[in-house]
Amino acid sequence: MRLDVVAALFMTIASAFVLYGLSYDTRLVEERVHAREELAARLRSDIAVLKAERAHLARPERIETLARAQGMRPATDRQLAQDTAPAGIITGSNPSQ
Amino acid sequence: MYRSIADDQGRKAERDPRAATGRGLRLRMLGVIVGIAAAFAVVSARLVVLAVRDSGDLVIAKADPVATSFARPDMVDRNGRLVATDVALRSLYADPSVVLSRDELVEKVSSVIPDIDGGGLRRALAEPDRRFVWVKRGLTPSVAQRVHDLGVPGLDFKKELRRAYPLGLLAGHVVGGVNADNRGTAGLERFIDRAVGVEGVHGATYTSSAPVTLALDIGVEHTVEDELALAMRSYGAKAAAGIVMDIDSGEVLAAASLPGADPGSPADDSDQERLDRVAGGTYELGSVMKLVTLGMVLEGGTRALDSIVDVREPLMAGSRRIEDEHAAGRPLTVAEVFTHSSNVGAAMLALEAGPERQKAFLESVGLWSPIATEQGPVKAPSVPDRLGRAEEITLAYGHGIAVAPLQFAAAAASLLNGGTRVTPTYLKQAPGTARAGPRVVSEETSRALAQLMRLNVETGTGKRADVPGYEVGGKTGTAEIAIDGRYAEKSVISSFVAAFPMSAPRYLVMVSLFEPKGTAETRGEVLASTNAAPTAGRVIARIAPQLGVMPKASAVAGLE
Repeated sequence: MRLDVVAALFMTIASAFVLYGLSYDTRLVEERVHAREELAARLRSDIAVLKAERAHLARPERIETLARAQGMRPATDRQLAQDTAPAGIITGSNPSQ
Repeated sequence: MYRSIADDQGRKAERDPRAATGRGLRLRMLGVIVGIAAAFAVVSARLVVLAVRDSGDLVIAKADPVATSFARPDMVDRNGRLVATDVALRSLYADPSVVLSRDELVEKVSSVIPDIDGGGLRRALAEPDRRFVWVKRGLTPSVAQRVHDLGVPGLDFKKELRRAYPLGLLAGHVVGGVNADNRGTAGLERFIDRAVGVEGVHGATYTSSAPVTLALDIGVEHTVEDELALAMRSYGAKAAAGIVMDIDSGEVLAAASLPGADPGSPADDSDQERLDRVAGGTYELGSVMKLVTLGMVLEGGTRALDSIVDVREPLMAGSRRIEDEHAAGRPLTVAEVFTHSSNVGAAMLALEAGPERQKAFLESVGLWSPIATEQGPVKAPSVPDRLGRAEEITLAYGHGIAVAPLQFAAAAASLLNGGTRVTPTYLKQAPGTARAGPRVVSEETSRALAQLMRLNVETGTGKRADVPGYEVGGKTGTAEIAIDGRYAEKSVISSFVAAFPMSAPRYLVMVSLFEPKGTAETRGEVLASTNAAPTAGRVIARIAPQLGVMPKASAVAGLE
């Protein structure tokens, strides 16, 4: 058998091994990407559910009840100090001290 | 012939070894070509057999559709708080070819999901060429687990996107709803399908579209709904509607109609009890219309606020006698016609203006023609075919014309915002966006109307709407409801249209109570001054701080 035929045969077999190796690596990477995509989809789904749960828990009806239980209520004009009021009233400090 | 050529080639090969190798190569190639041709012939023959064979033996399975649901963008309120979102839930389906016993399947599934249509499911499972039957879509995780635990062959799950409304019934009429495929069927959900776009998806693939930002403020919406519910209980009203609108941009910050609608299970359109009374119904709103009448009069320039109108004599509108319920017994100024809510005075002013001007003014403020919002068309106003004397008179104090509260609120905002027409919108506008439409009244007229509204709360029929520090202005309207062609005296719609702060109006609030009853608190009255006005006042007291409106320190005696 001529040398060039032997070399071509060797190159073919070598290429086949390289290609097989590349194909294997590609499938491995694809599998990893797929796993990541699945994880991302699952996390996206979890985030959507958590967002909905947070919105449900923070709905105004519930927050208002909790706020009122803490003694909070809407601001009124009686909670505002006039700018002519003594500084101590506005800051809460005692000027005599 | 071939033999002779072969013999000839054989002889050549004996003479030349290279010719012998070439001959062998050609033979192998011929063999490969024949092999490939044979394979193609087999495939072609098979295709012909399939084509001409009796199609009765062919089975086309009814598989699930390509796009089983639609991915929708989130809906958030003007402050970014979530109103509607997609979540992935399991939907249950059956493969009839794998089901061993239809009766057992239906019986067992019904024990976990009682509301399935057993008969329909049995029929669908009995169809011979069917491979896919929805059993129940959008199961909660716990129900899905219980169905899974049944271990019935032929059942399986598919993850799908389903719409979730974490705020429950809040703003249900405005938000609308979706069908089983997650497509919008009503309200702003339908608008999203039409104008924003949804993506057909197979499985639970979330959309990457940006959220749709609404003009609604869910805090304000909750407050309005809470106060309306309280008013319905306190005054025995059958229904209630409330609107909060940015007076310059027309953004609707709250639109509530009680009894409310659940976006998760959209109401039947024929359900009159749950009708959207903000935009889906038209009503004679009574004396709140005097705001429009006074706007027309002041803009016409023929009357000043202090000019005198002699309202001592009743007016005749056809066979109907028009007189003031609480007559002052003396001539009134134009301003007093408003604060005393004089029907006779308003009618006389309208008659002075004439029918053409009255109709033109109603058209200019947007009360004569239909309007639409992102939610859909607002119920078209009912207006008289022609404006005779009787119609001129009744229109002046809000009878003979029926409009949706939202349409009236937009007209009132147009009169109070400096005089430019606004179109109501449910979408958030960029800060400072002036969506100024055509001018309807001058700034001077607009200021005068704002002063009248404030005066009415300080000294007139709207006293109970006052909230210290917030300079509330408003107008009452108590409209008797026509039943079988006759007005029923104690069956009324009582409304209050308010704005604040009146030194530079920013927000409009409108409250309507449907068929309130007289109570001890109202001394048996059903007048708007006794029920709608205080309701509007309570709404304003709660929403003003949320909207960042600072109270004027009008009566500060010290800190609380």
